[in-house]
Amino acid sequence: MEDCISTSALLTTDGVPLKQSLKKAERKNKLRAFLLVFPLLLFIIVTFVMPIGDMLFRSVDDSQINGVFSNTFNEYKKWDKEKDVLPPDEVYKALFEELAYGEKIQIGRALTRMNYSKSGWKSLIKTTSREIKKAVKKDELPKNYKEFLISANDKWADPTFWYAMGQMVNNTTPIYYWNALDRTYDQDQNVVMQDEKRRIYIKTWIKTLKISVYVTIFCLILGFPVAHLLANLPLRYSNLLMIFVLLPFWTSLLVRTTAWIVMLQQNGVINGILVWLGILSDDGRLQLVYNETGTLIAMTQILLPFMILPLYSVMRVIPKSHMRAAQNLGAKPATAFWRVYLPQTIPGMSAGGLLVFVLAIGYFITPELVGGKDGKLIGHWIAYHLKTTLNWGLCAALGAILLGVMLIFYWLYNKIVGIDNIKLG
Amino acid sequence: MSKFTKAFLFASIIFAPFVANAVTVASWGGAYTESQKKAYADTYSDPSSIIFENYNGGLGETRAQVESGNVTWDLVDVLPADAITGCDEGLFEDISDEIASMGVPGPNGESIAEDMENNGLNYHSGWDCCVPQIFWTYVVFYDPDAFPGEKPDSMADFFDVEKFPGKRGIHTWADGIIQKALVADGVEPNAVPTVFANQTGAIDRAFEVMDKIKDHVVFWSAGSQPLELVKSGEVIMAVAYNGRVGAANLAEGENFEYIWEGQVLDQEYLCLTTGAPNRDAAIDFMMHASSPESQAEQAKYITYGPMRASGIPIIEANEPWGPGGVDIMPHMPNTPERLKVSIVNDPQWWSDNGAEISERYSAWMGN
Repeated sequence: MEDCISTSALLTTDGVPLKQSLKKAERKNKLRAFLLVFPLLLFIIVTFVMPIGDMLFRSVDDSQINGVFSNTFNEYKKWDKEKDVLPPDEVYKALFEELAYGEKIQIGRALTRMNYSKSGWKSLIKTTSREIKKAVKKDELPKNYKEFLISANDKWADPTFWYAMGQMVNNTTPIYYWNALDRTYDQDQNVVMQDEKRRIYIKTWIKTLKISVYVTIFCLILGFPVAHLLANLPLRYSNLLMIFVLLPFWTSLLVRTTAWIVMLQQNGVINGILVWLGILSDDGRLQLVYNETGTLIAMTQILLPFMILPLYSVMRVIPKSHMRAAQNLGAKPATAFWRVYLPQTIPGMSAGGLLVFVLAIGYFITPELVGGKDGKLIGHWIAYHLKTTLNWGLCAALGAILLGVMLIFYWLYNKIVGIDNIKLG
Repeated sequence: MSKFTKAFLFASIIFAPFVANAVTVASWGGAYTESQKKAYADTYSDPSSIIFENYNGGLGETRAQVESGNVTWDLVDVLPADAITGCDEGLFEDISDEIASMGVPGPNGESIAEDMENNGLNYHSGWDCCVPQIFWTYVVFYDPDAFPGEKPDSMADFFDVEKFPGKRGIHTWADGIIQKALVADGVEPNAVPTVFANQTGAIDRAFEVMDKIKDHVVFWSAGSQPLELVKSGEVIMAVAYNGRVGAANLAEGENFEYIWEGQVLDQEYLCLTTGAPNRDAAIDFMMHASSPESQAEQAKYITYGPMRASGIPIIEANEPWGPGGVDIMPHMPNTPERLKVSIVNDPQWWSDNGAEISERYSAWMGN
């Protein structure tokens, strides 16, 4: 025995060092484990990592337009704005040529992009293109490109369009992020606030966060007693109660949202009852829907099951004896609840809170329907730019910021509560 | 049932949409798509070769399909600004030659383009890839029972809360309402698009007019809401899609009145997706769907007006054109005399300025 211990390298029965042999066995296991999770990994890469990567890429990418107008932009960069009011002739010439001989579809796409930097680009380029095509067809290349373009459309003499062009002359751009925060570039590419009448995003961000936090808090306040009841009632009552929780959960989101409109509108059920009871006068009916209040109420009800269910699953396994023991040892019921019961529900509260918050921050259809004048969240703008303006760069920037906010909250949560403390059941 | 039949049935359910070589049309759903099915597909030589799919508007999905090369929609039903952008960006295929040579002419030989020009429209690049469908409008309507005395009959009345106290229902986006505001401020309806395009400050002017009713507005966002708002008495009048009001009047026995003055006519197009799997069949269907007869036929099922001017005389000559022997002309937005007091939307201007205005409108709503 002593011999064995004293040898420097342990050997297996067939004479291979134990370390090596273990490594070999482990490698096999590791490979097997890797092959087992490989489909999942692939799935995550294809459906999660790649789209998010694509989104982050799009939020700074401006290469399409730079491919179309590369010469124009190169010449543009040489323009000394201090010295000349308008860009030099070379810029006009390059633009003329790129419009005359460029691919129509690529130019069309670039137009959509150009219009984000300033309204009016689209028709400016289109009317100019028409004139250019006519001239090229007749083989009458202008002697002075600047004069030609200005005669085709006098906006080419307007420096503000040229200043706006400065936003897109690089292959990558942070402009979409600035736009998502109500900022834009001035003529010298300094970041400035957007025109006051157009400032909408910061306000929407704050509103989105505020409503998500409120919804989470309200869900917790309303959900906690329900989950407690569910966990502690005898089975036949708690089953019935569970159905009341799950039934709305299974009902279509649209149905529930529209039901809230019926309940909350000025001639709706709630206002009707309040007037009937004499609490409100007939012309003092409350505006409960088509504004922020409506969004808050409807979202709280719709997201409530996401709070109740994790809370319930955690509360169910807390032994009842703990509360009794605490009281036996002299704690008042309130103290026993506060010091013994509540800490044990934290995993459930965390899980529910995080679920509700994450769902709320990206909520779309409910705020869209009941939000009316000021109850719409950031999802509204993402959808708008995705579908209507096709400004996918701004969309991606908004999405990336949303992702960032979520990660910050996750980090904060991990710092304060600890991510190991989460429990869904 | 044997295991084999079960498996076969299951497989056929799963794969049915991929097997059929049918033309897929993406449209808005609801009563509108129903009317398209009845007027265009059911009257087509091979009704079963046309499949309708619902979408929610915009070019987002079309662009995704074309960019990824996986095109499933042959035809897309779009708004004019999207027709222009889609055609410029190459999401829709330029088939101007086919439209010119294969388009069904009107009774006096009018081409599709001439017919649209007769309806007060101007050429835009959307016409190269798309065929016309219908005019739909943003129209103000009210329940006459809510006004025992004088009834509102102009845009000035809609924006005058002292003359007609009570709430107004308007939508949560700018298109349609800012034009009406200018009409209320005394601009001739027909001149509104040129005023917006050429006068600096016209947008500010519209917002100033809207400020007057801002505290008296309930904002709606889904097409059915304004009807509900007026029915329940929550508002005294509202802007709505005229097809919804027409349906309430014709099918639900309501008695709503329209204020045609200052109605904002907008267009609807059927466009061919670039790389459509059934391109030729789709073009053939497009020509059928854009014939004056098909367009008039659609008015039977929904009160949107044919975008081809020669569709209107067909309806007029055959009244009662509606189902169950009702007259349709009282609900048609683009009769010649109504066109005189209407705004025909300028999609080119909207595709230039839409994003900026909608941000501004939202800021206005929220403040």
